[in-house]
Amino acid sequence: MNLESQLIVGAVLFILGMIGFLTRRNLILMILSAELMLHGVSVNLTAFGRQHGNASGQVFTIFVLTIAACEAGLALALILSLYQRRKSLDIFLWGNLGEPDSVKPAEYPPTAEPPAAEYPQLVPTGHVPKMPASVGTSKV
Amino acid sequence: MIEWLHDNALWLIPAAPLAACLWIVLIKQVVGRATAHRPVVLALAISLACSLYLLTVLVPETFTHHDASEHQVEAASGTLRTVYEWIHVGRVDVGITLRADAMSALMLVMVTSVSLLVVIFASGYMHGDPGYPRFFAAIALFVFSMCMLVLAGNFLLLFVFWEAVGLCSYLLIGFWYHKPSAAAAAKKAFVVNRIGDFGLILGIFLIWTTFGTLDFERVLADGTLIATVVAENPVVLTSICLLLFVGAVGKSAQFPLHVWLPDAMEGPTPVSALIHAATMVTAGVYLVARCTPLFIHAPYAQLWVAGIGAATALIAAITALTQYDLKRVLAYSTVSQLGFMFMSLGAAAGNEALAASAVTFAMFHMFTHAYFKAVLFLSAGSVMHAMGDVIDMRRFGGLRKALPITHITFLAGALALSGFPLLSGFWSKDEILSVLSQAMHHGPHGTFFSVIYGVALLSSLLTAFYTFRAYLLTFHGEEKFPEEAGHHPHDAPPAMAGPLYLLALAALGIGFLAGPTHFYAGYLHHTPGFPHSEEHSPDWFMMGLSTVIALVGIGGAYAVYGGSRGKAEQFRKLFGPLADWSYQGLYLDAIDEALVVKPLRSLAETAEFIDRMVIDKLVDACGLVPQLLGGVLRPVQNGLIQNYAAMMLVGVLAGLVLVLRTIAYGM
Repeated sequence: MNLESQLIVGAVLFILGMIGFLTRRNLILMILSAELMLHGVSVNLTAFGRQHGNASGQVFTIFVLTIAACEAGLALALILSLYQRRKSLDIFLWGNLGEPDSVKPAEYPPTAEPPAAEYPQLVPTGHVPKMPASVGTSKV
Repeated sequence: MIEWLHDNALWLIPAAPLAACLWIVLIKQVVGRATAHRPVVLALAISLACSLYLLTVLVPETFTHHDASEHQVEAASGTLRTVYEWIHVGRVDVGITLRADAMSALMLVMVTSVSLLVVIFASGYMHGDPGYPRFFAAIALFVFSMCMLVLAGNFLLLFVFWEAVGLCSYLLIGFWYHKPSAAAAAKKAFVVNRIGDFGLILGIFLIWTTFGTLDFERVLADGTLIATVVAENPVVLTSICLLLFVGAVGKSAQFPLHVWLPDAMEGPTPVSALIHAATMVTAGVYLVARCTPLFIHAPYAQLWVAGIGAATALIAAITALTQYDLKRVLAYSTVSQLGFMFMSLGAAAGNEALAASAVTFAMFHMFTHAYFKAVLFLSAGSVMHAMGDVIDMRRFGGLRKALPITHITFLAGALALSGFPLLSGFWSKDEILSVLSQAMHHGPHGTFFSVIYGVALLSSLLTAFYTFRAYLLTFHGEEKFPEEAGHHPHDAPPAMAGPLYLLALAALGIGFLAGPTHFYAGYLHHTPGFPHSEEHSPDWFMMGLSTVIALVGIGGAYAVYGGSRGKAEQFRKLFGPLADWSYQGLYLDAIDEALVVKPLRSLAETAEFIDRMVIDKLVDACGLVPQLLGGVLRPVQNGLIQNYAAMMLVGVLAGLVLVLRTIAYGM
């Protein structure tokens, strides 16, 4: 286990988190990606701490994790209030600070809503439940 | 009391009308509008009284002391007073100095007396006009400016009030400013005057650089500076005189700047009587007469003065022959008579012995002309008043029974103007003709002055002819009133009739009182700096000749216009295109329009086009640059959080690269 491979792991975590943050539309998944970036940085710090032979990297990591926890709490509180305003977790709804003549989020094609799934209804014992149309009738 | 009057009469003369103007502007515009004439009448009465006191008491006190202590004597005697130290910077020392001598005293009496009578007339004439207070305020301001012009003690102050009388003339010509023709006439008067003023200011600059001072005392009264300049550089003196004369050409409506005076008849008739007959247009004559000490050393300039005067007299006389508007006939007559005055002023070219007589008789003609021209204009105003503001002679006739007072006074003025024997015009015009004939016989420029003399005789003949043409067309023939007159044209009310009578008496008698008795000449030659005068015996031959001319002119007018109108029309048709040429003012207005007005207008339009299309567009293009720059940068801010995060990433990467490179190079 040399330094480069540890750093590569950290870098991969960070890059993945970065890509996720920059490309996802869901608010919660964006926060997740941000947390992932933090983890990548923590791995980097720990690797360097190991290389220098002292515990500074790990101490810093503990700090980062603590902060990440507080930050996650705050972020989720904010997402909750944003959701309650628009009843949606789409980040493109919150683009009002842009100039009027820039490309609007509404021009992005909205993601296709999955059709509301029909779930089977509970029935009293002994009766055969009505199966949804999408599920093939079973021979049972 | 007498002591106070002695010291203060000088500045009271202009101050009274100024106070009246301020009073009207501040108070009478609001309260008591219908009696706005009262302050002006009071002020002008005060001015007239002080002018008479000046003429009879204050100025003669300076006559007896013809030595170097004249300055102290004048200051003590109340004829010189610096009201305010205006400019005292470096070598420029110009104060608001009032200075009275014989010439200004005579001029002031003329100005204030005619102004007083015209204002009394105007209180009746302008009755009921909505702008009544404004009229009297402007008249008061005008009389103030004219008095200050006459009393000015240096060239700069003269120029200030020269412009001020031009301004008041503009205000009064354009009095009925809703009428487009009146507004245009006022503008034309001011602009043409401005051309003359340009020459005048250049002349004043040249006086400053040559003499080092602008004071009349040092430049004109005291002969030493002039002698120095004549010895060193006589050409600059000729230039100064020519430039000052350009100013006089503009103000006194001489050819080619005479075009404003006939159009100025758009103003109310009292304005025409006061400004464009008696006072403002005489400012040019006053200027040239005042600068006689300069002009006698510049014979070339005097030749120009006489030449332009002669040309103007003839042009105006020809034009007046066919005009139908009575006021225009009188306007052209004014221009013509001013030409006479300038002919006389220039008659002393190269002949210094003649200078005193020449200037004296020019000013004497100005003096008598003021009175008879004022009575003619005021009578025309009375006719207009009776005829419902119609002044076209084709539309009325035979008014002598309906308007007896006006008839008598107009006849008095017409006889005086034509030079009928023993009336005022006879004495003054006759003396001018005798001066010209002396210039012709004894001066060095004999042939030139023989032409001038011929022109003067012809103009006198035409003057008598057109004056009586106007008289006959208006007052004789079959009685005819235009519809605007209503049923019964009423003659002048007392406010108008009084001044008419007084001015008619002056027109008849003042020439006799002041001319042959040598009162005027004897008084005027006490002006400091005036050339030495010679004995001038009455020229009987000239008197006889001018009587003959006047009678021939009057007789000719009776022959043509005394009968029916049809005969007059036939006579006019006899001349065909010449009559049209005369009617259009020798097409001088049209020439002006084509040569001056049109090129200037197209120049102005070109300049406006360039300003709008080129310069404004350049400015707009400069304004576009930030817009374009903004248009490039604006889409960056699109409200998408992930875009902002991406740009943060790019910035961090750039910073990272820089830092690593620095570290790498450092290693």
